Amino acid sequence: MDTNKVILGIYNDPDHIYDATKKLIHDGYRVRDVYSPFAIHGMDRVLGIKRSNLTVAAFIFAMLGICLALTLQTYTSYFDWPINIGGKPFLHIPTYIPITFELSILCTAFGMVGCFFAVNRMAWGKNADIIDIRVTDDLFVVAIDIIPNKTDIAELSSLLKNNGAIEIREREFED
Amino acid sequence: MSHDTHIEIKEEKYIVTDGNKKWSYGLMIAGIILTVIGYFTYHPSVEGMNLSAEDLHHLVSKRFWANLLVDSYFTFIIATCAIIFVVISKLSNASWYVAIRRIPEAMSTYMVIGAGLLLAVIVINFYVLHGGIYHWAHPGVMETDPLLMKKTWYLSKPFLLIRLVLFTAFWIYCAAKIRKNSQNEDLIGGIENFEKNFRISATFLVVFGFTFSMMAWDLMMSIDAHWYSTIFTIYNFATGWVSALTVIYLIVWYLRGNGYLKIATDEHQHDLGKFMFAFSVFWTYMWVAQFLLIWYANIPEEVVYYRERMFGSYSFNFYINIVLNFIVPFFLFMMRDAKRNRTMGFIVGGAILVGHWNDCLLMVMPGAMDLPTTISEHNPMGSIDIPNQGIGFMEIGMITFFAGLFLTVVMKALTKANLYPTRHPYIYESALHDVGV
Repeated sequence: MDTNKVILGIYNDPDHIYDATKKLIHDGYRVRDVYSPFAIHGMDRVLGIKRSNLTVAAFIFAMLGICLALTLQTYTSYFDWPINIGGKPFLHIPTYIPITFELSILCTAFGMVGCFFAVNRMAWGKNADIIDIRVTDDLFVVAIDIIPNKTDIAELSSLLKNNGAIEIREREFED
Repeated sequence: MSHDTHIEIKEEKYIVTDGNKKWSYGLMIAGIILTVIGYFTYHPSVEGMNLSAEDLHHLVSKRFWANLLVDSYFTFIIATCAIIFVVISKLSNASWYVAIRRIPEAMSTYMVIGAGLLLAVIVINFYVLHGGIYHWAHPGVMETDPLLMKKTWYLSKPFLLIRLVLFTAFWIYCAAKIRKNSQNEDLIGGIENFEKNFRISATFLVVFGFTFSMMAWDLMMSIDAHWYSTIFTIYNFATGWVSALTVIYLIVWYLRGNGYLKIATDEHQHDLGKFMFAFSVFWTYMWVAQFLLIWYANIPEEVVYYRERMFGSYSFNFYINIVLNFIVPFFLFMMRDAKRNRTMGFIVGGAILVGHWNDCLLMVMPGAMDLPTTISEHNPMGSIDIPNQGIGFMEIGMITFFAGLFLTVVMKALTKANLYPTRHPYIYESALHDVGV
């Protein structure tokens, strides 16, 4: 990103913002992101968002959980301290299944949450930089990068307005 | 959300082609021929056992009836769970399934034939064969067996028949009603039928929950009358449910591949695939839950069920069951692209269907292929275990016949109504269904 200034088009209808975003991208504007209180179907395709790799991470964490659980159980109940419970064999995979299942889920859940926080640069104590506070309630915001000497702000504003924006304003990011 | 996607809702009916007829009738005829060959060429392989000629004759008949029970039960629960899919989606107010709801509705018409066949199997076994594959139904068994005496009030032939008829009749009535209302909607529109179906679905699901349990006890669990498992019914439901989802999934692929049902997209296919994946895991959960508790508790009465299947001649069927119903769907169907791929869909779908058929076979065969004997100190169960007779012409032929029959009925039902509800309130929403990237 070679710019930290954006124009915000604020909408009160998900259909309007969907059409507007489509038009903006078609006209060659650089849309930074669309902010919305709920998921707008098809918006991810319009914005060209790639599929998240979170699922791959989930699979790896699940495998990690399975390995951990099997190692723990085999070590404790077979190598380190075998206890005879009702004459059952010490090393028996069916008995290990519930704990393996639970630990794989635990690892997947924690791992995915951790990945999600890392990818989104979220941490305790960090203040959220909400693009417009009303987006957490009932409005929809599209943010378009202003590229110096290239973006015609007046033309862009009229384009947004013609597509149903109820408000247009500029805003700067601090980073 | 009405974006720029253009959706055309048009009346569309399935037309049964000559090729379809050739296939479905061909399967039925081939099935009958194979079954007949299997029946007359079957010589029970029971080396080392001292069995009379009459006993061997009984085994031929038992194998035939056990197979008929397996296949009619399997296809019947598929048809029943198909309508339960509509009911559950309806009650959860889902919209995505509307584009494909005519397929489970069409599958539910098989319930009439399925219930009739099941009833025929039970009646003939009880009253013509004097018990047949049901050990407890043999004359004198309930009166002398100390373990079964306590179950006399529940396991009585007339009581079982009466409840079976009542339950299946009620299910068929509800399914027919739901289908009728859904078709009326195409003619008159409005939300009157939508609301009617909601009420029927709610009643149906509550009744189904209890009555399906009893049906599974009566038809399947009572074959091993000494054995019991409280999770058995939900395990049976999982079998039927995942098989029904698989059949719906495959029929949607077939119809889309032949130019029908343009309204259903890869998105619908993906969601059905997710269901198949999820409920394969659910089935495995139930399987493990049943197995593990019995393994741990180690009560002879319960363990005998698994002993016969795990270590005896059924061990191949026992282990392949887990491979086909859990490992194959879990690893092959985990990827997003696999659920949207026709070839992969047919591979995994085929594995699931074969696997669950094998599952039903495994529930019935070991218990049904026993020969009754007098209770003694050495034989407290009062039966002689016959080793696994394998999967032969009779098994293959019978399931081939049932596949042909099922397809014939479903195709005929599909021609009767539009392939998707044209005036359902949610049809546009369903057509625009999108699971995201």
